[in-house]
Amino acid sequence: MDDRADSGDPGPAADLEELRTLLLGPEQQQLADLQARLDDPEERAADVAEVLPRVFLQHSQDPRFTAALTPPIEKAITTSVQRNPKPLADALFPVMGPAIRKAVSAGLASMVESLNRTLEQAVSRRSLQWRLEAWRTGKSFAELVLIKTLLYRVEQVFLIERKSGLLLQHVSAAHAAVQDADMVSGMLTAIKDFVQDSFRVESSDSLEALKVGDLSVWIEPGPHAIVAAVIRGSAPASLRGRLQEAVESIHLQFGDVLESFTGDASALAGTQQTLETCLSAEYRADDTAPRSRSTWVIAGLVLLGILVWAGLRWRTAERWSSYLEALRAEPGIVVVASDRTWGGFTVSGLRDPLARDPQELLVDTGLPSDDVHGVWTPYYALDPILVAARAASALRPPPGVTLTVRDGVLSADGAVTLEWVAEAARLAPLVAGVTSLDAAGALSGQIQSLVDAIEGQTLLFISGAARLTSGQEVALGRLAEETRQLEQIAGVTGLRFRVEVVGHTDSDGIEAANVPLSQARADFVRVSIAPAATTFLEVVSRGEGSRQPAVMSENSVDKQRNRRVQITVTRRTGSGE
Amino acid sequence: MIQKKICMLGGFAVGKTSLVAQYVTSMFSEKYLTTVGVKIDKKQVTVDGQDAQLMLWDIYGHDDYQAVPVSHLRGMSGYLLVVDGTRRATLETARLMQQKAVEAVGSVPFILLLNKYDLADEWEIDEQMFFKMAEQGWRVIRTSAKTGEGVEQAFETLTRAMLAGASAGPLIGQGLV
Repeated sequence: MDDRADSGDPGPAADLEELRTLLLGPEQQQLADLQARLDDPEERAADVAEVLPRVFLQHSQDPRFTAALTPPIEKAITTSVQRNPKPLADALFPVMGPAIRKAVSAGLASMVESLNRTLEQAVSRRSLQWRLEAWRTGKSFAELVLIKTLLYRVEQVFLIERKSGLLLQHVSAAHAAVQDADMVSGMLTAIKDFVQDSFRVESSDSLEALKVGDLSVWIEPGPHAIVAAVIRGSAPASLRGRLQEAVESIHLQFGDVLESFTGDASALAGTQQTLETCLSAEYRADDTAPRSRSTWVIAGLVLLGILVWAGLRWRTAERWSSYLEALRAEPGIVVVASDRTWGGFTVSGLRDPLARDPQELLVDTGLPSDDVHGVWTPYYALDPILVAARAASALRPPPGVTLTVRDGVLSADGAVTLEWVAEAARLAPLVAGVTSLDAAGALSGQIQSLVDAIEGQTLLFISGAARLTSGQEVALGRLAEETRQLEQIAGVTGLRFRVEVVGHTDSDGIEAANVPLSQARADFVRVSIAPAATTFLEVVSRGEGSRQPAVMSENSVDKQRNRRVQITVTRRTGSGE
Repeated sequence: MIQKKICMLGGFAVGKTSLVAQYVTSMFSEKYLTTVGVKIDKKQVTVDGQDAQLMLWDIYGHDDYQAVPVSHLRGMSGYLLVVDGTRRATLETARLMQQKAVEAVGSVPFILLLNKYDLADEWEIDEQMFFKMAEQGWRVIRTSAKTGEGVEQAFETLTRAMLAGASAGPLIGQGLV
């Protein structure tokens, strides 16, 4: 401004100027220098460069500063990405992967949570088993479900230089079939390029997986190198994350080596360990081990179940056959048919009403009575036991008397009465299976004691006459009664007896007189005990004189004992004579 | 061991595949050439006491050089340009492919192989032309797939050049070999 005023009046103005110069010369020079410095962009840039780092350091907390810087930086980044996204993408690659994965896994976690809830409602037997295992191994249920459905193995992992397709590193699982890895590496790269070229995909996209049948190749690209995994089976998505981590960690560690790679892979030997972690992922065969173990357990349980079932079935069959055997052995039961069905057992046949209840036999075998259905038709069995039982129910023997049957003949053992035997003998042939009653057998004891009683009697006579001594009438009466009973028994049993009445004398007198006397005595007794003609007894008399004395003595008392009549009873064979 | 990717470039039926068939380890069949467009073989070379493993990308021969995908060329450290000596047109194809290679990977060592030397009577390419190429700095080797002449030499020469200075720019030809 002052300069313009100077041009009007040179005289005083020039003086003033001079004065100014004299007074303010050094300051003016300084001002001019400052002016020049401000006008020179190079100089100013140098000044700003000097203070700028200090500004960033000291004022980074100042919100105004941040607000002012944000728009240009944003714009710069946008422009950079628009121009060429690769540098920024390469720079961000190592940090972006983990960040994205973190976000994705957080998203997945919430999804898994809801999946968990859904699955919780589906309580199947299998899911219960898996749930138990999840609890045991500390895994989440959904994760376990995924693992359960997968079975895979990473057989080889390649680290391949991205541009040339040269193999940088190669690891393989034990026993994996490995071809020439160098050539496979190159061809894999060629195929990857071929797919990318042929289908004109976005340059940022690339082939991620190849799949042939059970085998698949997963490709995980990085800026300078690619990791390719050869997988047999169906791998979990988590393996992709493992491959990504491997690519990232290799780029982080060996980024410089990869970038300046000229064909010498020896500097990359250290990548082997990282790649092997991808292999070890497939060694999560541990996850399948419990599964195969549990498969064995289940198979074992099934087998055990079958064995137990077969054992139970065999035992039941054994019980059934022993039951049938018992039924067959049981008198009065005839098994005609038997059958085993899923519902139980059926048996049909004949059964005497007096035979044992088939249900009673079941109790011994242990078969549940509800499972056995019996169809029985009544009949008369001819088993001796049943015939005897039938006879007992029809003939009602006195208490203590047991009946047995042999060849159709019914025998009674015990204290029978004559009346019962008489009645039973009449009715016995009417009982099915009985032809006759062995009455003689039943009464044999009575007959014997009766015969003993008759033969044990001796009737004494007075001397020289056929008259009883006094008091012998009672004995005679008893004899008559016993004879009558014998007659009755003979009538019932059909037995025939010979009753022989023998008279005796003592030795007094002559024998010619004694014999008729003994005959008279015998006749007397015979007529007394059997006054009427007998049907079943043959009563005869005989005189023996003095030839058979009871005692050999001349004593008068003994002589009296010889004047007697005795009776013998013999059974006659050939009854009904 | 040092590994290098090299490409076999050239027009249709110039004999690229037959040229190397006996000298390389192969595991892929030739049908890959027509399907994927490339077949990869392996070749071990020892030059000046140093071992090198060459991964040889045999690229399907198109007479139209544009049909060769650039992606196959990426990352190569050298290449063999194959020309059929009995067909002059293949030389022009090779020239264009060489330009394409330079666009793709920059200046890397290469050797021009004049193939079918056994049919020298039918050659359409005369001596003058060789000198012209040599003057341009191209290294030229005459080869025959039938007799195997020049093939091992080509590999060794290329390898030596690649090991000597991959970054040293184009191989300066020393005239006819």
